Amino acid sequence: MTLVDKEPTAAIEDIQKRFESAGYICDMHIATCIYLSQKLDKPILVEGPPGVGKTELAKATAELMGADLIRLQCYEGLDESKALYEWKYGKQLLYTQILKEKLGDLLEDAQGLDASMDKLHQFGDHFFSEQFLEARPLLQAIKSEKQTVLLIDEIDKSDHEFEAYLLEILSDYQITVPEIGTIKAKTKPIVFLTSNNSREMGDALKRRCLHLYIPFPDSDRERQIIETRVPEVSENLRNQLVAFVQQLRTQDLKKLPAVSETIDWARTLLLLHADSLDTEIVRNTLNMLLKFEDDIDNMHIEIPKMVAEAKKVTR
Amino acid sequence: MNRPLAEFVDMLRYADVPVSIGEVLDAARTIDLLGYSDRNLLKSALSQVMAKTTDEMVSFDQCFDDFFTIDTDLNLGENLLEQVSDIDESENSDSSDGGEDAQLAALDNLENAPSASGDGGGGGGEGSASSPSEGSGTQPSTLLEMLEQADRTGLTMSMNAAAEAIGLSNIVLSTQRGLFTRRVLDEMGLAEVNQEISDRRREDNEEGAEELSRRLSVLFEATRDMVERQLALTSAGKSNQFRQEVLKKIRLSNIENRDFRIMRDMVRKMARRLTDMNSRVRKVKNRGHLDIRKTMRRNVAYDGLLFETHWKQKEKDRPKVLAVCDVSGSVASVARFLLLFLYSMNEVLPNVRSFAFSGTLGEITDLFERHGPEEAIPEAIEIFGGRSTNYGRAMEDFRDLVFDEIDSRTTVIFLGDGRSNGADPRADILRDIKKRAKRVIWLNPERKSVWGTGDSEMTKIAPNCTVAEVCNSLSKLELVIRDLLKTS
Repeated sequence: MTLVDKEPTAAIEDIQKRFESAGYICDMHIATCIYLSQKLDKPILVEGPPGVGKTELAKATAELMGADLIRLQCYEGLDESKALYEWKYGKQLLYTQILKEKLGDLLEDAQGLDASMDKLHQFGDHFFSEQFLEARPLLQAIKSEKQTVLLIDEIDKSDHEFEAYLLEILSDYQITVPEIGTIKAKTKPIVFLTSNNSREMGDALKRRCLHLYIPFPDSDRERQIIETRVPEVSENLRNQLVAFVQQLRTQDLKKLPAVSETIDWARTLLLLHADSLDTEIVRNTLNMLLKFEDDIDNMHIEIPKMVAEAKKVTR
Repeated sequence: MNRPLAEFVDMLRYADVPVSIGEVLDAARTIDLLGYSDRNLLKSALSQVMAKTTDEMVSFDQCFDDFFTIDTDLNLGENLLEQVSDIDESENSDSSDGGEDAQLAALDNLENAPSASGDGGGGGGEGSASSPSEGSGTQPSTLLEMLEQADRTGLTMSMNAAAEAIGLSNIVLSTQRGLFTRRVLDEMGLAEVNQEISDRRREDNEEGAEELSRRLSVLFEATRDMVERQLALTSAGKSNQFRQEVLKKIRLSNIENRDFRIMRDMVRKMARRLTDMNSRVRKVKNRGHLDIRKTMRRNVAYDGLLFETHWKQKEKDRPKVLAVCDVSGSVASVARFLLLFLYSMNEVLPNVRSFAFSGTLGEITDLFERHGPEEAIPEAIEIFGGRSTNYGRAMEDFRDLVFDEIDSRTTVIFLGDGRSNGADPRADILRDIKKRAKRVIWLNPERKSVWGTGDSEMTKIAPNCTVAEVCNSLSKLELVIRDLLKTS
C-alpha cells in the first residue's frame, strides 16, 4: 500500500488524515517527512524529548502501510551479532562432522593426495552459506519479501562502533557479510531511527537520514491527541488538563511532562471520575505527570494558582 | 543545480549549517518534487533534508526566512527602486493605479517615467529642474540629474556600482548599517544633491527643495533596504561565527558576564569532544561473558574443540581526572572561567574530582554535583578564594587527600599561575605525583615570558609536569587539550 501516489500537497494531507484515522495525530511537518522519506528512499532520524511519540510514529506507519514492524532496541554493548547476523555455530559444527564421516566414502576411489584434493574441491562449500546464517533484526528487515518498517530505537544509547554498522543499510539498503557477499534488500524497508539526544550522532549517520524533530505539541494539538486517545474524557476536563500540562511545561523542572504522561493522566482522572480539575485531585495525581520528587515538591505550592489559571483558560 | 539553491546553500554554510553535497542533491530532488509554490511546505521539507540538529534547525529557519522573503522580491535592486519611484509617480501625478498595476505599468513605460514625474512635479520645480536635464539629455550621469528625472535604471545601476565600490559585501554587524548606507550615498554623489537642496532653499525655491529632498529620502530608503538585504545575506550566520571566534580569542579575564552563557556552551562542547576522544575501547578483557561466536569461529580449525577462548568484555579507557584550581586573588579574573571548565568536565566525564585552593585546598566535586554553575562557581570562590596563595600548603593537602588514588590512568590537571607568595611550592610532591600518574598538566594563565619572575615558581614547577602550558584563551585551551589527546 502506498501513501504517495498523488500530488505532493494532496499526498501530504492524505497522510495526515490516514494517520489521524490510525489514532496518531501528526502535523504537516511530520507528514511532509513521511512523504519525503518515501519519495527519496531515505531513513528518518526522529529526535525529540522522551514521550512525544517518536516510537509511536513508526508503529503507526507500520499499521497504516500494513507492513511488519521490526524493532531493534539499542543499548550500550549492542554488537553486530545481535543486530545484523550470526552464524549458526552448532549446525556448522555438525556439518563438519557429517562431512568428515562422508569424506571417507567419497574419496575412496581417489589415488594419491592430489586426486583427493581435486575431488574435494568438486564439492560445494556450504560451511559459510545462507543456510547457516541466523538473521538478526537488521538482516531480517533486508531479507523480508514483504514491506517492513524497521525501527531502530534509541540509537543514541548504542556505541560509536554500532553507528558504523548501520551506515551501509541506511544508504544502500544492503548488508555485506564478508564470507558470503552482499545481500541487497528485496523490498526496501522504511527505516526510523529514534534518538533522545543523550549523545550527538555522527555526521555520517545524520547525512544519510532525514532529520525530524518532534517538539512538545501545542495545546490545540495536545487536545486533539487526548481526544483521539482517551475519547471518554469530557471536553471540559480535556481543555483544563491540557491547559494545566501546558503551564507545567513552562516551569523549571527536571523532567517536563510529555504527551504520554498527559494521556496517562487523562486516563487516571477518568478512573477517578473527575469532571473538572481541583487542587486536591491534582495534588493526589501529580505523580503521573512529574517523575522526580524534587519537581513534585517544587510544584506543590504553585498548584492552586495553576489550577485556577487552567480553569480560566477553558471558560 | 539551480542558482537560488546554490546561493541558499552558501548562506546556510555561512550560518554554521554544514550542508554536504549529498544533502544538496537531496534538497534539489525535494525542490523538484514540491516546487516553490508552497513556502511553508518547502521550508519544513528542506529543514528535514538539510538541518540535522536542533541548533542547525534554528539557523536554518532564520536563513530560510531571510533568503526567501528576499527571493519573492527578486529582480533585486531594480524592482525595489521601481516600487519606490512608483510611489514617487503616483504621488506626483495623482495616479489612480494602485500598487501592482502601477508597478507593471512602470516596467513597460520606462521612458514615460521622467515626463510623468516632470508633469506632476511641475510648478515650482521647473525652473531649476530644466537646466540640468536639458544638458544631459538621455544620458543623465550625476545623482542630482537622475533624481530629478526619476531615472530608476540609472539610479539602480549607480547604486549597485557604488555598493561595489565601497565593498558593501564586507558588512558584518547590524550596527554598521547606517555607516554603509551613508557611504553608498556619498559614493553616488550625495554632497551635490544636498548642496542643490540648500541652494534652492536659499533661492526661496521652497517647493523645489522640498520635492528634491523628498526624492532623496526615497532614495535613502531604497539604499538602506539594499544594505539591509546585504546584511541579511552575509552576516546572519557570520555574526554568530564571528562572535564565537572573537570570544575564543579574547583573554579569559575580559569575558563579560553576558557572554558567560555562550562560553559555557563552548566549553561544554570542548569537554564533550574530550570525552568522546578519550573513551575508545582499548583492549579485550579476559573475563566476563564468553564470545561464543568468535570462539567457535577461531576454533573450527581445531576440529571444533574450544581451545582458544575469546571474551566479550571490552575495557574502555575511562580516564580518571583530578583537577586542581587556584582561586586566589592573583588569578581571580580567570578563576571563574577555569572553574567553569572544571564544571563542564565534571558534567561530561564520569571520573572527575575537582579541588580548589588559595590557602588551604578542598574538594568541590560535591558542590558541582549539587548546584548549577551559576551558584556553584561563586560559592567555590567564596569558600576557598580570597586568602593568599600557598602552593606548598595546597600541594600537601592534595597529597594527603588523594595521593593513594593516583594511578597510571590518572590525569592530574593544575590550573594556576604558580605564584606562591614566597612559600616553597613543594615541587618534590609534584615530582612524586608525576611518577605515579599518567600525566600531570599545568595550565598557567600567564605569559611564558613572566614565568619565574617575582614570586612565580614556574621554573621549579614546570620540569615536574608532563606538560606546562600557557592557557589564557579558549582557543589556547582547546589546542593544549587536543595535543594532549594526540599524544596519549
